[in-house]
Amino acid sequence: MGGGVNPARRWFLAYAAALVAASCVHLPALLAAALGIALVAAGRMRWQLLKRSLLALAVFNLSVSLGYTLVALWQQNFVAETLLLLNLRALLMVFLGFWLVSRIDLLALLAGWPTLSLCATLAIGQIRAYQRVLEEFRMAFASRNPQPPRLIDRARHAGTQGGALLDKSLTSAGEVALAMRSRGAFDA
Amino acid sequence: MHIPDGFLSPQTYLPAYGAAAVAWVWAARGLRATLDEVTVPRLAMLTALAYGLGLIMLPLPGGTSGHAIGVALLALIFGVRAAFVAYTGVLVLQALLFGAGGITALAVNALALGLVGALAAVGVRRLCAPAGETFSVALAAFAAVLLPALLIAVVLGIQPLIARQADGAPQFFPFGLEITLPAVLLPHLFIGIGEAALTVLVWRYARRKKWVVA
Repeated sequence: MGGGVNPARRWFLAYAAALVAASCVHLPALLAAALGIALVAAGRMRWQLLKRSLLALAVFNLSVSLGYTLVALWQQNFVAETLLLLNLRALLMVFLGFWLVSRIDLLALLAGWPTLSLCATLAIGQIRAYQRVLEEFRMAFASRNPQPPRLIDRARHAGTQGGALLDKSLTSAGEVALAMRSRGAFDA
Repeated sequence: MHIPDGFLSPQTYLPAYGAAAVAWVWAARGLRATLDEVTVPRLAMLTALAYGLGLIMLPLPGGTSGHAIGVALLALIFGVRAAFVAYTGVLVLQALLFGAGGITALAVNALALGLVGALAAVGVRRLCAPAGETFSVALAAFAAVLLPALLIAVVLGIQPLIARQADGAPQFFPFGLEITLPAVLLPHLFIGIGEAALTVLVWRYARRKKWVVA
């Protein structure tokens, strides 16, 4: 067994340092070079990671970029470099985040903090339970409605789904908690 | 209403991390004693619900997004400390798994949504308790949306004053308070009403399950 910082935490620290560095750089060319290096270093995953990053970026930065362009053009002080700087920096940061997650186990980051590990394990388990239940409900609803459902049917379905989601999730979290208790997770 | 990565200057997020670290230590202290095999599944369930709610988001031109939060529920049922820690976890997962929010903005997002949101919920619920349970829970949830939204709008809006290029061009988020305040606050008035309705519904579920007393 090797000592020192665990590999997940080491990667996370490197990622955090890279974020701080990226936010201290205000030259688009340097940020573009850093993004290029990150793309090369990410290996075969690079295009998949870039696609995910661009999609995530579009959600937030598109509205800000469009807003900035309109306001700056209206005020006659549009600077293309500012737009490039904002988007390149954000793209680099989001790319680094997705790259990190593709490399490490998030729960390994919390090793050494039992309470946080416990809560995170359960919460991640619940998120997966929600995803599974939602998909089951969606398929069941689709199979019962060959024609587009009425609004009242949708509302009834959403209400039933919400209640079932909470009940199922609680049951599954309870089972996990009992299993963890039997393994001593709640022992002082 | 998270702030994404790349919008905040280091002059903003580094001190915010200092403040958040103190708050995280405070929140984590004594948390373990309140968690057992009964409360942990409930906390996990509502944390996952908050995570899901936060992902159904609408981008706002003010540099953030509109979505339900769920922090009021966490705070009203489990208290401010547990809500703050749980919501920080939600923000970390959303940032790393979906690129929603970000690690540089984590401290500001956690302080605004997790801590101020939770404190607002508990404070308003206590203040308005004599006015009735449904009203006080609804108003608590509304306050837990609006107060963090105000903070987020202010933090974003001061970025052009904090970090500029030599020619005056912004280095980070480009809009001032005159844009961020209305752009963030107005949609959150409506989101707050939705959040209040949702919180009352889940609060009643929690009451039926005897997780909470009036």
